Amino acid sequence: MGVGLLMVAGGAAAGLFGSLLGLGGGILLVPLLTLGFGLPLHEAVGVSLVSVIVTSAAAASVYLERAVADLRLGMSLELFTAMGAVVGGAIAVLVDERVVAGLFAALLLYVSLTMLRATRARTPVPETPAPAPVPAAADAAPIATTATTTVAESWTDRVLGPRPYRLRRFPLGIVGSVVAGIASALLGIGGGLVKVPVMHLVMGVPLRVATATSNLMIGITASTSAIVYLLTGGIDPYVAGPTALGVFVGASLGSRSGHRLPVAALRVLFVVVLLYTAYQMARRALAIP
Amino acid sequence: MTARTAGAIEHGVARVLTIGTWASIALVLVGVVELLAAGRSPLDSAPAFDLAAIPADLLALRPDGALWLGILGLLATPSVRVLASLVGFARGGERAMVVVAALILLVVGLGVLAGLSVG
Repeated sequence: MGVGLLMVAGGAAAGLFGSLLGLGGGILLVPLLTLGFGLPLHEAVGVSLVSVIVTSAAAASVYLERAVADLRLGMSLELFTAMGAVVGGAIAVLVDERVVAGLFAALLLYVSLTMLRATRARTPVPETPAPAPVPAAADAAPIATTATTTVAESWTDRVLGPRPYRLRRFPLGIVGSVVAGIASALLGIGGGLVKVPVMHLVMGVPLRVATATSNLMIGITASTSAIVYLLTGGIDPYVAGPTALGVFVGASLGSRSGHRLPVAALRVLFVVVLLYTAYQMARRALAIP
Repeated sequence: MTARTAGAIEHGVARVLTIGTWASIALVLVGVVELLAAGRSPLDSAPAFDLAAIPADLLALRPDGALWLGILGLLATPSVRVLASLVGFARGGERAMVVVAALILLVVGLGVLAGLSVG
């Protein structure tokens, strides 16, 4: 009973954290399951993948209803992330993982500093304003047909109401999504870690929309890997059960109360996660145990 | 495409996600209760996945049946969400997004096949 409750509690923390940042929560769960419960890494990753799906589905349903997640943007980018993941899986045997980890650590460090500068300046990353409010996000033309232009979008702030913004540099967003998929396959990290900064810093998507849209996207990538894990015996249902219950509670709470968290705090939290992951990647690159 | 159509797609997709998650989590909850009621620990050795055994496990109130069925539901939810989006986009006449949704499902299928051939 005690072990089960601890798994529920750990899952709840991961779900809360993951739904707020659009990361899925695997970054917390895998160390918890391996170090805390002695699970083999392969099984911990399998349980983590199931939990990412729970976070994604529980949070995205709320974010879609509240018009915070951008369905068209998310689906357009997740296609390229999924392609990147397939490419990453195919080239995994050809590249030196330590070199990739080193490059990735440098990239994450650069992204964290860029986001930190925006926080310290107390001004958001430039988000090109739309000329006039648009009645609904979906009034925009399909993302896939307007790859080289800016697209008027809007999201609904719980306090301020509809907030228009312009989506820009979609081709760079595609490149970022492919990189997210490749990094996810090569290094076993969640794609949200790349996709949220790409959407926010490169494409001008407000941070809340970027994290909400990332929540929508991560489910499909995780489900692809999770199905493979399921069919190859990598998912332990006894561990996945209580963990998924906790993740569901945490992700539901996070997605319903996340709007109360100031954007600056959200950004700082994200930077902390980026820096932590950069540190872990640097250790991997330098082969530090 | 009108704003109403677009909002309806988001609402429909959100509903698919909600139903998929709640139904799956309810099954998982039943499985966890059965597991604890049987005096077993989550760290006990778990049975391998066997699709054919699920109905019998469910009827016998063994935790494995509800747990595996709930996990299967969770794993299927993202793909069903993409499928629901595809249908919504098709009804709304958004051809580009229909192609995007179809390609996502295709890539997911290829990814699973590639993963199985490697693993």
